[in-house]
Amino acid sequence: MIENDTSSYWRRLLDLDKPVPPGILDKYRSWHRLSRSLFYAMVDIFLRLYCPEKVLGIENLPDKPPYIIAPNHSSTLDYLTVAWAMGKRKEELYVLATSFFYDNPWARFCFKVAANAVRINTEVDFFSALGIAAKILGAGKAIYIHPEGLRTIDGKLLPFHPGVGVLAVETGVPLVPVHISGTWKSLPTGRIFPRPCPITVSIGEPIKMAPYIEKKKSVQAYDVYKEATEELRNRILALSQ
Amino acid sequence: MGDEQLTAEVKTLVSKVIKIPEEKIDVNVNLFTDLGVDSLMGVEIFATLDKKYRLDVPEEKLKDINTLNDIIVLVRELLSKRT
Repeated sequence: MIENDTSSYWRRLLDLDKPVPPGILDKYRSWHRLSRSLFYAMVDIFLRLYCPEKVLGIENLPDKPPYIIAPNHSSTLDYLTVAWAMGKRKEELYVLATSFFYDNPWARFCFKVAANAVRINTEVDFFSALGIAAKILGAGKAIYIHPEGLRTIDGKLLPFHPGVGVLAVETGVPLVPVHISGTWKSLPTGRIFPRPCPITVSIGEPIKMAPYIEKKKSVQAYDVYKEATEELRNRILALSQ
Repeated sequence: MGDEQLTAEVKTLVSKVIKIPEEKIDVNVNLFTDLGVDSLMGVEIFATLDKKYRLDVPEEKLKDINTLNDIIVLVRELLSKRT
């Protein structure tokens, strides 16, 4: 055990030792569900005819939540391609929507139709946002996170933020690497209408957190979070080959 | 604990966390913009201080911290509150 094992501070920061408060997950009305069914019927046509999508490695998805789905980020289409690939299991996924989007009624409606969205305010406190993600995982749900934080401009994978590593290691939840190709060509940043282009979603084997949790006993916690994050990035790069 | 000892201890601790030799860390250099420390590394510094000095270092203070000197002032303040 290292003298300065800091994980208790991180756990306190994420409120991990407190029970999951009721009401952390947003309520969805029946019209949201109905709109979602109609919306994904259109997405289905789009991803079969206009941007035909191929899904590889769907069997790698953990049998049940909690888990963290972590794809590369190159387009606003990314979430839809992963949700479509997951079929009915997309209902397990929760996405964190920043207040910038969530506080706009139209954007909130779009978010709620497309996904189970939970409002976060990263401008005020990034760590409380991580804490909310931890609570969602604690409630037995799955989280969808882009570890790059932003969409790539040139199609290349950006550096990953280690927050995803903190979340995975401290909650002990597996990280599922996902590589999405084709969305950047179809709808890159700055473009309004998608171009027709084949899309591939490759789902890798989940990265189990037990070795990292063990490692935290002898290595500084931050280094372990970074290592888990780098492993995720390497797996996504491997999926892109 | 004297000021010099506290400065030396905090410098050693920060150096270990951010993996930059002590001699390259000036007390007034901006850790985030000049030495590439990210916010999570900042939390790890707080967590290490919390552990070493058994202080309750509030993470909200992170936004007020830019330099090693800011960290030393914060630790001194928290230590004096404790005694």
